[in-house]
Amino acid sequence: MSYKKVLFIVAPLLFLSLMFPQKGFSEDTANCLACHSAMKGKVQTPSGALIELNLDIDKFQASVHGSLSCTECHIKFSDDPHTAPGAPVSTFVLAISSKISSKHLVDPIAAAACSDCHEEIYRKVLDSVHGSNITVKKQKDGALCLDCHGSPHYITKADKSESMVSRENQVETCGNCHEEKIIIEKYKLQENVMKSFKESFHGRKLYLGHTKAPTCSSCHGAHDIKSKTDPASPIFGKNKLVTCGNCHPGANERFIPAITHAHTHPIAHYTEKGLILLTLGTFAFIILHVLLDAFSEIRDAIFRKRREEE
Amino acid sequence: MSQTNTTTDAIPHEIERFNIIFRLQHIILFTTFLLLSFTGWGLKYAHEPHGASSILIRMWGGADMAGLIHKIAGVGMLLDFIWHVFYMLYLLATKQTEIKARTTVIPLPKDAFDALQNFKYFLGISNEKPRFGRYTYLQKFDYWAVFWGMVIIGFSGFALAFPMVVSNIIPQFAAGWIWDTFALMHSDEALLAIVFILFIHFYNEHLKSEVFPMNWVWLTGKISTETLKHHHPLEYELMFPDQDKKEKGE
Repeated sequence: MSYKKVLFIVAPLLFLSLMFPQKGFSEDTANCLACHSAMKGKVQTPSGALIELNLDIDKFQASVHGSLSCTECHIKFSDDPHTAPGAPVSTFVLAISSKISSKHLVDPIAAAACSDCHEEIYRKVLDSVHGSNITVKKQKDGALCLDCHGSPHYITKADKSESMVSRENQVETCGNCHEEKIIIEKYKLQENVMKSFKESFHGRKLYLGHTKAPTCSSCHGAHDIKSKTDPASPIFGKNKLVTCGNCHPGANERFIPAITHAHTHPIAHYTEKGLILLTLGTFAFIILHVLLDAFSEIRDAIFRKRREEE
Repeated sequence: MSQTNTTTDAIPHEIERFNIIFRLQHIILFTTFLLLSFTGWGLKYAHEPHGASSILIRMWGGADMAGLIHKIAGVGMLLDFIWHVFYMLYLLATKQTEIKARTTVIPLPKDAFDALQNFKYFLGISNEKPRFGRYTYLQKFDYWAVFWGMVIIGFSGFALAFPMVVSNIIPQFAAGWIWDTFALMHSDEALLAIVFILFIHFYNEHLKSEVFPMNWVWLTGKISTETLKHHHPLEYELMFPDQDKKEKGE
């Protein structure tokens, strides 16, 4: 058989192999994905929430959760798409799901299922200022897993640039709420935190890709984040000495105010205004000087020539 | 600083205007200045315009390397400045240079009149160009601008580069505003310095038709007596008084 003929047989076979579901999924997962990878759009639940039906297989497989089967998190569901969800749920997950029901109206069980593997971190989050907003104040906008990490189907390691909590994206992710006017007003948050960070040396360096520049979580903590008025917060009072000292060994009380979210002090503000006036005044003078100088040079070049000719 | 050559009648073709030490100081100054400008610009405008600064910073090896270059160049510039000040004091102390009205770089009332006269000339009100000494008012401005920059940008830059050291010196009551003030001073005055150099210095020493593409004095240190007579007549007369009288007599 000639080489070309082999190619004619092998090439379509190779192409066919692309059309079959990829390996790596367990059988029941493949069952779910058979439909959910092809389905498009959203479905509305009786409570009015919109649920995304589509799942991107490639992204799911590349995520840290790619090897899990669907029912490990969607606990109530079974492999059979025709039975109503009602599988047994552990009391631990049930307890958490009741705590977070003010936030996850549709399927608190699935949202609580993260605790099956990430129990310690989940407890920290529920104790944090973000979590207690849901569990104690029964609000719906306290941040939980999905708000910072995105869909659990596509979560990647934090050191990957596509991660929502990576160095590249973390500030923007926090900004989703901390730059949001409604949330700032509702919880009386400081309104300039994103702006002041971006303008600070920390923010500028982070944006330019400095490998040691801090992100939000470097100073404020992540899962166990506390209110700035909470004595346990890493940025409360003298705790700052330790927090700043992590990167700046020997940080003292006069060093700490160097970079904060505080509004510019009037002295600094008016010093800058004065310097801007000086700068603009000097600009006006030198630009006028250069332009007039150039103008007189051209004029001289013409008149001098004429004089020499005479 | 100035060489007087009154004993001989023959006028040399060119004379030394800046000795090798001044030339070296100038070379270090502009090298560090350019390094500081490029690396600092990227940080000042980190968020705008649309990632252009990120590209600029990547050209210098990324933010870490650009920061290191900026700090080394900054320390180099400060040392260069200190060297210059001490060298000037040494020249004065050993009487190798003395302060004379015609050759000093210190601003005098005459400079204000020179500026006025120059503007009159620019506008065509007068046909007479001002008669300058060793340094024109613009050159004096240029020179003292560096001093201003060294004090404002240099000190604040030192504080920002070595905050832990400086935090031990600053008083507690100032801690709340002094860091912001340092950062604003550093960044605003650096912009002033860059624009100043870009306009005044580049125009007068590079773009002007008589010096284009550059005034070679930075490299050779020499100025032709013809140029000296034309641009610094008062210094020329001081250097060659006999020649000057001869010319006036004829």
